[in-house]
Amino acid sequence: MNKRPYTVVLIVPTGVGAAIGGYAGDAMPVARAIAQICDRLITHPNVLNGAQLYWNLPNAFYVEGYGLDKFAAGCYGLRPVHQNRVGLILDRGIEPELRLRHLQAADAARATLGLSLTDYVVTDAPLQVELRSSPTGASWGTIANPDSLLRAAETLISQAQAEAIAVVARFPDDTESEALQNYRQGRGVDPIAGAEAVISHLVVREFQIPCAHAPALLPLPLDPQLSPRCAAEELGYTFLPCVLVGLSRAPQFVVKGADSQPEDIWVNAVDAVVVPATACGGSGLLSLSQSRAKIIAVADNVTRMNVPPDAIGIKALQVQSYLEALGVLVADRAGISADALSPSISSLNCLSS
Amino acid sequence: MTTHFITAEMDLQGRGMLQTLPSQLHQEIEAELQRRGEPLRWAVTSVDSEGQTAQVEAIVTVESSGAAVSR
Repeated sequence: MNKRPYTVVLIVPTGVGAAIGGYAGDAMPVARAIAQICDRLITHPNVLNGAQLYWNLPNAFYVEGYGLDKFAAGCYGLRPVHQNRVGLILDRGIEPELRLRHLQAADAARATLGLSLTDYVVTDAPLQVELRSSPTGASWGTIANPDSLLRAAETLISQAQAEAIAVVARFPDDTESEALQNYRQGRGVDPIAGAEAVISHLVVREFQIPCAHAPALLPLPLDPQLSPRCAAEELGYTFLPCVLVGLSRAPQFVVKGADSQPEDIWVNAVDAVVVPATACGGSGLLSLSQSRAKIIAVADNVTRMNVPPDAIGIKALQVQSYLEALGVLVADRAGISADALSPSISSLNCLSS
Repeated sequence: MTTHFITAEMDLQGRGMLQTLPSQLHQEIEAELQRRGEPLRWAVTSVDSEGQTAQVEAIVTVESSGAAVSR
């Protein structure tokens, strides 16, 4: 029996308008399928967060984007856990009723799912999220009071012994915007995803602790044209349940140089990486392309980016669909050359010395 | 601390072996962003293969005593 666990990283970058995974956790079916044919799946909240919807994948590792970039660079290892005690940060900018909705969602996760949460913290100032869209179409964002966010996280870690941090920030209710209308109809970039990533990146960079974000927004008016890919975000009052579930079992980060344990996972354990073919310019993929992992670029998952692997020197196997990518992974895990599964195979040539 | 959205253009011309490009590019992007703050999140978002340039979009943080350099 092969003792090396077959380990796959699935990346669908956040806020780049990915046709699959650019909406409400709609790359989750891809993650579920890959998790069936590998030993370990490492992926990130954008893939696994479906607001009220989530799926328990026992062999999946929920790794926030900054942590994933550092893992890819060999700076962080991933340490599996049975559970984390999750601390909740609520933005002071959230109105009282909306705050109560989130506290009740957190209580529901405790009572109905049995998750462990610490007492919560309200930031000492409104975080004041500002959204922006770049010329290429990606969504980005900034927050006016990052120090307030970090003070709240420090309180949860030092006073409540939180082992992972869920952040709920008040996002602008831009209900009339064209960007939101396009997103809800399944043909636009998620206007808030880029800013969400900035929030969780700040916490992970500062504290090396699992973190994920859920936006606080008022419910939207019913839209009969709503895309199925966005529908998970319109089932309830909060986007928090998937975040709490993901964080409850997210691996802890082990910083390079700290005492490593045999179960820790480092970048050299990665066998394959699956990524949209036009979005190969992320920090994590640039790092992973230097490892021994096979990069599989999926053409069907179009994005607003224009960075195919060959444009920046990344050697990748291009496939059309995730179904095809699954076949490549199965063959690779079995030690079968994908070439042998095509109708024609060229003869060997003699290398010139 | 403050957070800033910035862009940068990286020159891809005159590179050595293609297989070293990703790691070289990664290092050069980090170095360029470091000049303008502490890189938090970045990506190459488009490549102009004719002009041999790569467009980078990023969020950097700057401690309150400083300010991000805009370009």
